[in-house]
Amino acid sequence: MFSTILSQYKTTLTVFLVLLVIVGLEVLQVRAAIYPSLLPAFEWLKNSTPLGYIGTTYGSIYATVQAMHLLAMGTLGGLVLTTDLRLLGVMFRSTPSEVISNGTHKAFKVALIVAVLTGIFCAAGVADKVYYMPVFWVKMLALAAGAAFVFLVKQPLLNSKPHSEINPWIIRGMAITSILVWFTVAASGRWIGFS
Amino acid sequence: MINEVLLQFGQWMEAQQYSQMLVAGYYSYSWLEATHVLTLMVSIGSLFIIDFRMLGWILPNVSASTIAERLHKPMMIGFAIMFITGFLLVYAKPVETIQSLWFRIKMVLLVLAFINAWIFNARMKAADGNWDNDSVAPRNLRVGAILSLVLWCGVVTMGRYIPYDWVDCDKTQNSTILWAAGCVDQLKAL
Repeated sequence: MFSTILSQYKTTLTVFLVLLVIVGLEVLQVRAAIYPSLLPAFEWLKNSTPLGYIGTTYGSIYATVQAMHLLAMGTLGGLVLTTDLRLLGVMFRSTPSEVISNGTHKAFKVALIVAVLTGIFCAAGVADKVYYMPVFWVKMLALAAGAAFVFLVKQPLLNSKPHSEINPWIIRGMAITSILVWFTVAASGRWIGFS
Repeated sequence: MINEVLLQFGQWMEAQQYSQMLVAGYYSYSWLEATHVLTLMVSIGSLFIIDFRMLGWILPNVSASTIAERLHKPMMIGFAIMFITGFLLVYAKPVETIQSLWFRIKMVLLVLAFINAWIFNARMKAADGNWDNDSVAPRNLRVGAILSLVLWCGVVTMGRYIPYDWVDCDKTQNSTILWAAGCVDQLKAL
């Protein structure tokens, strides 16, 4: 029986385990212990890599990549809202939700890749500054949570069976979680600029 | 002449009590800026999905008119919020913004983007509906979609450039740039 549960809810259990490990790391203060050891990596990113050099030397390139990051985040946000509002039954009610969620997922992946790549460039130019910003770490954790949620929970569940066979409250909960997580990523990203 | 008028208008706005309150408030300007940028996800996000659909890059099995109709409302709400917050951002720092070359280019691109959107809408209404379920829109609509993508990328990029001071009035002596940016006093001093 135990093995049946394990095989049926493999992804859910994996996510639960990951969350448990994160809570454990926090309680045991492992994160606090790891945190100082990350500083050399951030200093290396800014001072010893081409990304850091270009970011600190050429302001116009830095600003242009920032704009690309904004555009990627804007596109990603539009795709998330379109998919999740359909899952909530707010938009595109006459179109099956499977069509919308599958049709936007590829573009979502492209937007996410562009956002991450341009984000690394933007962070490299000010790596020694963002390291000390709590809001930067909030964004990183929200981004990791958002990506894990999409690729380990949301898409596998939406692709597992017709959406009509999934409990509607699970679908609604998933859509609201997705909107909140990605809004946190975007809002904390904006707040980095004010810190 | 136009630069003098714009500068006077900016100085008049800057003297307003509410303009000074927006800048002086600890969070007010930041909240305005954050709302302006975050609304990109609704406005540009929706617009790009419509453009991508016209180009056949996304949701090819959903009719183009369905995508455009359903996303029109959230897109317009997004743009309305962006215009209100954008106006308030200018109102908070009118002289600095009016004398920004990037802001001026952004406004020109915005006007072009709206002309393009108007033409695009007119072409879509006039087009024969047979293409609606095709994965790619007719050529004239595809051109409109590409123009829309390029112009809005330009608008966002210029918006991102505004806080940078590379070509501020006190940073350049190039008379063309000074004229284009509306740096009235610096032009007179040349």
